[in-house]
Amino acid sequence: MKCVRCLNDAATKLADAPDGSGAWEMYGCSSCNFTWRSTEEEEVINPDKRDPYFQLAGVNLDDLMVLVPVPPLRK
Amino acid sequence: MYRDLREFLNKLEQEGQLVHIHDEIMPEPDIRAIGRAATDLPNGPAVMMDNIKGYRGKRAVINVHGSWANSALMFGLSKDATLKEQFFNLVELTKRWDNNEGSVRYVDKAPCQEVVITKDINLFELIPLYRINAYDGGCYFSKASVISQDPEDPDSIDKENIGTYRLHVQGKDIIGMQALAFHDLSIHLAKVEPYNKPLPVVIALGVDPALTLMASTPIAYDKSEYKYASALNGIPQEITKAVTCNIDVPAGAEYVIEGEIIPRQRFPEGPFGEFPGSYSGVRRQVRIKVKAVTHRKDPIFENLYIGRPWTEHDNIVGLNTSVMLYKQLKETMPEVEVVNAIYQHGLTVIISTANRFGGYAKSVAFRVASTPHGINYCKNIILVDADVDPFNLVQVMWALSTRVRADKDVIVIPNTPGMPLDPSSDPPGMGSKLIIDATTPTSPDKVSREVRMLDQIPKAAAFEKIISDLQKSVAGRR
Repeated sequence: MKCVRCLNDAATKLADAPDGSGAWEMYGCSSCNFTWRSTEEEEVINPDKRDPYFQLAGVNLDDLMVLVPVPPLRK
Repeated sequence: MYRDLREFLNKLEQEGQLVHIHDEIMPEPDIRAIGRAATDLPNGPAVMMDNIKGYRGKRAVINVHGSWANSALMFGLSKDATLKEQFFNLVELTKRWDNNEGSVRYVDKAPCQEVVITKDINLFELIPLYRINAYDGGCYFSKASVISQDPEDPDSIDKENIGTYRLHVQGKDIIGMQALAFHDLSIHLAKVEPYNKPLPVVIALGVDPALTLMASTPIAYDKSEYKYASALNGIPQEITKAVTCNIDVPAGAEYVIEGEIIPRQRFPEGPFGEFPGSYSGVRRQVRIKVKAVTHRKDPIFENLYIGRPWTEHDNIVGLNTSVMLYKQLKETMPEVEVVNAIYQHGLTVIISTANRFGGYAKSVAFRVASTPHGINYCKNIILVDADVDPFNLVQVMWALSTRVRADKDVIVIPNTPGMPLDPSSDPPGMGSKLIIDATTPTSPDKVSREVRMLDQIPKAAAFEKIISDLQKSVAGRR
């Protein structure tokens, strides 16, 4: 399914409410690692209502800054 | 003092500093609102929640460190202890570190391993997770103790590191983590990552309050946070071995998540609402693959609300930062009386000092601005006299009002190191330092006016108690 943040088709259900109540589902994106719960506010889980500042649609996730670079490989 | 979180929670409850919310609440947005509210209340309590929708039967607690009253109780002081009293109490306690007074004790059948899960791990089912701030990248652990060992010396308790690094739960058994290059965990990782080897790590949630404090205090690489916490507590730190690796874990921790950092890979993590009150961005960071989760029976998920200051984060780092700077200043400047570095981890610092001679206070500012922490953090530096309590903002404002000559006492030093999370640091990592000397000029600094200060009134202290007791008894009769 579509991620609400990066809009890639890389999201799946991660969990149901563990008490068996069916109160909510947890979803997560394997592309940008965003997770969300079905009961959250519209401004958080609706791609059309989320603050555009926080969206990652069209962003090249491989180009994001790495604060601690991978060191050269040694044998 | 406290062997584990539960002992501290019992104490908080006895002192009226722990409340229970039994009403049903939503994980989002209610827990964030509860954390915000508890920390905004004067001397706000810890809040235990036991009816979180979808997580029936599970418990979470927030704001455990989130008031100075709770902080005082953590140190065995009265909950009314002033900040200045807590500051000097901590200065005394840290002498135990210098005397190597802490110790560890291994225990069998540790409570943190009453339940052990090694397969079908799903963190979203095991722990009542929640998103802390609305635009965070997911559910975060904001108060975890992350433990790792030096791969070249894995049996050294002294080189074993415990640090609080933010943790982004990214999947059933995967966690993103921000640990910067200078953090001790990154030093451990750097010893194995070039060889494509993973680094075992353990995440402890809900530990004794002094250990949480130590996990957020920068100490030397080869000093043990376990022993330092033990020194503060006055009792040995009880530990046990993790079930999947050699790491030592706090025996009384509520939850223990064991795993390893996947070498040579980075994954998007964030954003996360940070302590200056703004979000940090999405960056590629290390990832932990979880191999086991252990926990106490009926565990309590402890986390903190972090956001627009003042929050629980500020309570945790405030006094440590102040005491550390104080000790460094005192090495060469005995005139320094008290250091208040509680504002945003020392971004603004107020120092009370006597003036050895004219202009001395400015030198104290230079010294704090060149300590290892102060270089990046201490940007707004206010100096006040020895008779001004820097924790008493009314007195500080008085000093600013009556002891500042803007033409002589206000200096801006441009283009100094800054702190990237400070939103006014532009470009990130650069800034300026501001020195405000609000001390009384001393010879040979010239003052052409004669000023005679009003005396302090020592007898007032006794009447304070009399009047306060009268006030309480009048209120009691209503």
